[in-house]
Amino acid sequence: MSLTDLRDELAARLGRDGIVTDPAHLRTYECDALTGYRVVPGLVALPRDAGEVAVAVAACARYRVPFVARGAGTGLSGGALPVADGVVISLQRLRRVVEVDPVDRRATVEPGVTNLDISRAAAKYGLYYSPDPSSQQVCTIGGNVAENSGGAHCLKYGFTANHILAVDVVLPDGTATRLGGDAPHQAGFDLLGAFVGTEGTLGIVTGVVVRLLHTPATVRTLVANFDSTKDAGDAVTAVIAAGIVPAAIEMMDNLAIQAVNAAVDAGFDPDTAAALIVELDGPADEVEARFADLTRLCAKATGVTIARDAEHRAKIWQGRKAAFAAVGRLSPNYFVQDGVVPRTRLGEALTRIAEMGDEAGIRVANVFHAGDGNLHPLVLYSEERGEHERAEALSTAIAELCVELGGSLSGEHGIGTDKACSMPLMFSEDDLATMRRLRAAFDPEGLCNPGKVFPTPRLCGERPGPYRPHPLESAGVIERL
Amino acid sequence: MAFDVDRALLDECVHCGFCLPTCPTYVVTGDEAESPRGRIYLMDLATRGEAPVAGPVAAHLDSCLGCLACVPACPSGVKYGALIESARPQLDREVPRDRLFRAAVFALFPYPGRLRAAALLGVLYQRLGLRWLTRRSGLLDRLPARVRALEGLLPPVRMKDLLSRTKATETAGPARTVALLTGCAQRVFFKPVNDATARVLAAEGCRVAVPKGQGCCGALSLHTGRDEEARAFARRTVDAFEGYGTVVVNVAGCGSVLKEYGELLRDDPRYAERAAAFAARVRDVSEVLAGLEPVARRHPLPLRVAYHDACHLANAQGITREPRDVLRTIPGVELVEVPEEKLCCGSAGVYNLLQPDTAERLGRRKAENLASARPDVIVTGNAGCLLQIRRYAGDGPLVMHPVELLDLSIRQTGP
Amino acid sequence: MRPQSLAELRDAVRDTHGTLLVKGAGTAEGWAGAPEPTDHVLETTGLAGVITYNPADMTVAVRAGTPLTALQRELADAGQRISLDPARTRATVGGLVATADSGPLRHSYGGPRDLLIGVTVVLADGTVARSGGHVIKNVAGYDLGKLLCGSFGTLGVIAEVVLRVHPLPPASRTVSIPCDATEAVEHTGRVLEARLEPAALEWCDGELLARYEGVESSVELRAAATPGGTTLSVPDAEAAWRRVAAVHDHDLVVRCGTRPSALPAVAKHATSLASSAAVGVHTLAATDVDRLREEFTQVTVLRHPPAVPAWGEPHAAVPLMRAVKRHFDPDGRLGPGRFRPWF
Repeated sequence: MSLTDLRDELAARLGRDGIVTDPAHLRTYECDALTGYRVVPGLVALPRDAGEVAVAVAACARYRVPFVARGAGTGLSGGALPVADGVVISLQRLRRVVEVDPVDRRATVEPGVTNLDISRAAAKYGLYYSPDPSSQQVCTIGGNVAENSGGAHCLKYGFTANHILAVDVVLPDGTATRLGGDAPHQAGFDLLGAFVGTEGTLGIVTGVVVRLLHTPATVRTLVANFDSTKDAGDAVTAVIAAGIVPAAIEMMDNLAIQAVNAAVDAGFDPDTAAALIVELDGPADEVEARFADLTRLCAKATGVTIARDAEHRAKIWQGRKAAFAAVGRLSPNYFVQDGVVPRTRLGEALTRIAEMGDEAGIRVANVFHAGDGNLHPLVLYSEERGEHERAEALSTAIAELCVELGGSLSGEHGIGTDKACSMPLMFSEDDLATMRRLRAAFDPEGLCNPGKVFPTPRLCGERPGPYRPHPLESAGVIERL
Repeated sequence: MAFDVDRALLDECVHCGFCLPTCPTYVVTGDEAESPRGRIYLMDLATRGEAPVAGPVAAHLDSCLGCLACVPACPSGVKYGALIESARPQLDREVPRDRLFRAAVFALFPYPGRLRAAALLGVLYQRLGLRWLTRRSGLLDRLPARVRALEGLLPPVRMKDLLSRTKATETAGPARTVALLTGCAQRVFFKPVNDATARVLAAEGCRVAVPKGQGCCGALSLHTGRDEEARAFARRTVDAFEGYGTVVVNVAGCGSVLKEYGELLRDDPRYAERAAAFAARVRDVSEVLAGLEPVARRHPLPLRVAYHDACHLANAQGITREPRDVLRTIPGVELVEVPEEKLCCGSAGVYNLLQPDTAERLGRRKAENLASARPDVIVTGNAGCLLQIRRYAGDGPLVMHPVELLDLSIRQTGP
Repeated sequence: MRPQSLAELRDAVRDTHGTLLVKGAGTAEGWAGAPEPTDHVLETTGLAGVITYNPADMTVAVRAGTPLTALQRELADAGQRISLDPARTRATVGGLVATADSGPLRHSYGGPRDLLIGVTVVLADGTVARSGGHVIKNVAGYDLGKLLCGSFGTLGVIAEVVLRVHPLPPASRTVSIPCDATEAVEHTGRVLEARLEPAALEWCDGELLARYEGVESSVELRAAATPGGTTLSVPDAEAAWRRVAAVHDHDLVVRCGTRPSALPAVAKHATSLASSAAVGVHTLAATDVDRLREEFTQVTVLRHPPAVPAWGEPHAAVPLMRAVKRHFDPDGRLGPGRFRPWF
């Protein structure tokens, strides 16, 4: 294994402009949006097309050098963390929208195209790409495929995996193939479904065919204020119980609202304990009937604002989507957590999180996709005051609380580097070993984004922790044999 | 002296990446180090002493256009403008580069007298067909890229304009007095814009003064890290406009700096207060016009008009609505939508002279985007943008300042 | 063998040797290649019943041998359903996952892959593995559930599944638009462009059927607003959807995925055809499978006479399927004969 030889070869194949070797320059690639983990790569490759990606991967395979794909570097789990002396393959020069097909309602794009740019390209046909992660103006479709990204509107419309028809992939040995097809029917195993969400560990996507939907006929959005997160949570339960499937139900607590208000003038009430953003969309009469029910179900709200027009609605969402980054205005440092609890345990989760925060003496702001129980507690702390370790412990404890309540370590940010060591809380060794079989089928040499998703002794300590029964096992929901 | 950027400013960046798609150099290169996030990272490394200033740090900071498109996109409120302005003088000090070329540019552009003399030569150059000759003979291709960039930018200038000055105007009845900044390069290359500004303001009921003793406002120097030079220009400008009310500017780059004088001269006890008061009186011409009830009759101009947001108007001053509102007062004008409308045209002060390759890529991209909207006229409120877009738009639509179009409408002549 | 619990299932696999055929209700026995006679047949129908169901969570965990119709009855009591309507009414939930089968509701809800949020599987060596979980939104770990969709019992024995549920719609209407396959493409575009949001949009042998689901007033209006359509009476609607399901009753039934606009090209190979017209998933009584395969790659033969080979030329991803099979079932215990000649 020789990084020098690999560097020379890639310089020859991709050109001087196609690789990065200077130490200071390399450091700009040492982390993604989770800056707590930093590793300087040995080399960055900036291929211009799928062919050059294959060239770069094949060279890595030949020299047995590990490689990590990188999109816009907006990931919050350290999924694009480089490997020391490894190669980062950036997909940021593959940014062409190859085709928008209004007849068959699909778009073919390169992986570096941003999520929002797909919808922009489709807009003239009245079509859009549905999954809408909060970072949609920045994050790339390639990254979305790797993470199976969600977003506020996934409650009704589903996640990335539900909207991808096919991907062109460079496999870890450098060969190219296509997974999926022209329609959601595959002859054989659903390899496309198995691939989406594997966090860049099975290969590098060089092309994506996405489904496009017609923009809904009507969209109605309201913001309802509540005296407590519990009241807001009860309203969510009532909405769901009434058989309404909103396009989105989002909740923000007071601290999160303060942060958002500092960044965007979206008109959220700065004094309310919790705000729900509920959006219904669909055919006009369906939406109007349901919207009337919805307003009635928010009976305990202290105030309800209905979005006046598209511009007002856009502002509300702009505020909501800026929440993570806006928290930077409240606190010099913070962790963004991402966990899921069964929806019916939201209230319990929030109470426990508040208690844990009080105990640690650390503020926690809450932003979440209330409809599907996906929590995003923001743990605010100060490096200067030496709170880092306490905050990190609290953040991890919150993710683990989610598992304890029968949920998941991650709803959309991925496991990446950040949560690999927590995976044994949710999955048994046999579970993880079985997942690794899939990985071995794609990447027998283990060169493709190593060290992510699965716990490793290097990252998590030499010995796995003592056996702890899975919370669902204790609850009698699942049985371990 | 070490490189040092304010830690508090650096720490505001949470590395979320929301700035990436707004950054022109990132859009064309796809390289993290060519993005605001990457540049902040490099400033941080250099400040920590973990990376030398010479090399990639200087190179990637130099390649920043200073368009500030990243600022409105930042949810964390990072003051990128303050960061890059604080870094640039340090680069100039720490890393000797392009000394001669930079010195030549700054010995020429901020001084209307010198520039006028040079422009006279330029007119001769054009008149005598030398431009044709140099282009035809392939001589141009053998010139260094930067000299070629300069040559390509030379606008067609009329001899008459070089030899006259924009005059103050009087108006009948009670009038609001405004003082016009006629600029340095603007005065030489865009005298018709200054004249149109004065006429339009007068037609709308203003008394327009053109204070004597004004020169360069310091924008070019400040945006290139020559802050001492910029402060000297700023003091002179504050003096020249003493005693006047509203200061009207028709160059976005100048306007944004004039509005920052309070900051720029903050540490100058003699000027700090006056500079802040001055800054508060500065208005872009579109702001002034949008704030006035239209008085003069507009004649119809049935034209498809593409409005290009100058970065220093839209991003630095937050002015996007006013120029469009002013254009809409002209009957028949249809404002067309342009793809990637927020992307910088690559002019950015003297950037197109110092970084001609990136400037050219951005210029071509802007021209293609504009052309796709099939406009009859392209309007933009900044001298640099006018030069750059004229160059790359080729023989297509007319490129002019919004006040020029308004002037034509008021004077009832088509473009 | 007919294990009654996960432990018995695990033991049955672990403590036996030789080849193994997994069998649910037996409704898709001959699909996707004729299984060879095996040393053991493992029936999953003993693994039946709901494990956990909390309607407010909108999820249900169920043993794989549970018939879908039985599960639907139980969910209906709480005003909910699994939005999956395959033609095979007797099929088990596990069987539907293994065959990736679905019906007209795929138009708005997708297939098993899109509804499956967790799975427990017993591998050929007796390893019991879970992936996913009990929450709808979850990206922790690989999604083995999706891998098992369309695996036809060749990667592992599906023991338990967790599914997402949806509210039962309060009302529904079906509209019929008589048209040929070519016109169906245009009508489909029109219905979608009108933003009428049908729950199902299925072309079947000369008519395009649009089913609307939602509140009473809305389905009525949407049905009436459907361009070129006639609202069907309840019995007529039921009969129409039965005709869609009946395409499965032929001797040679094929499912293939194409661009939606390829519907007319697919129809040329069919004596009877039910097509989710906006999605591009077609179920057809085929005339000549080889010729269909010449035109389209994503073709799965469901029911077929022994003389017709179930699979054609291997497509681009078949080498990867083989690699996965090797890692999950290195000895080739499970479902020998299926996927022949690919495996």
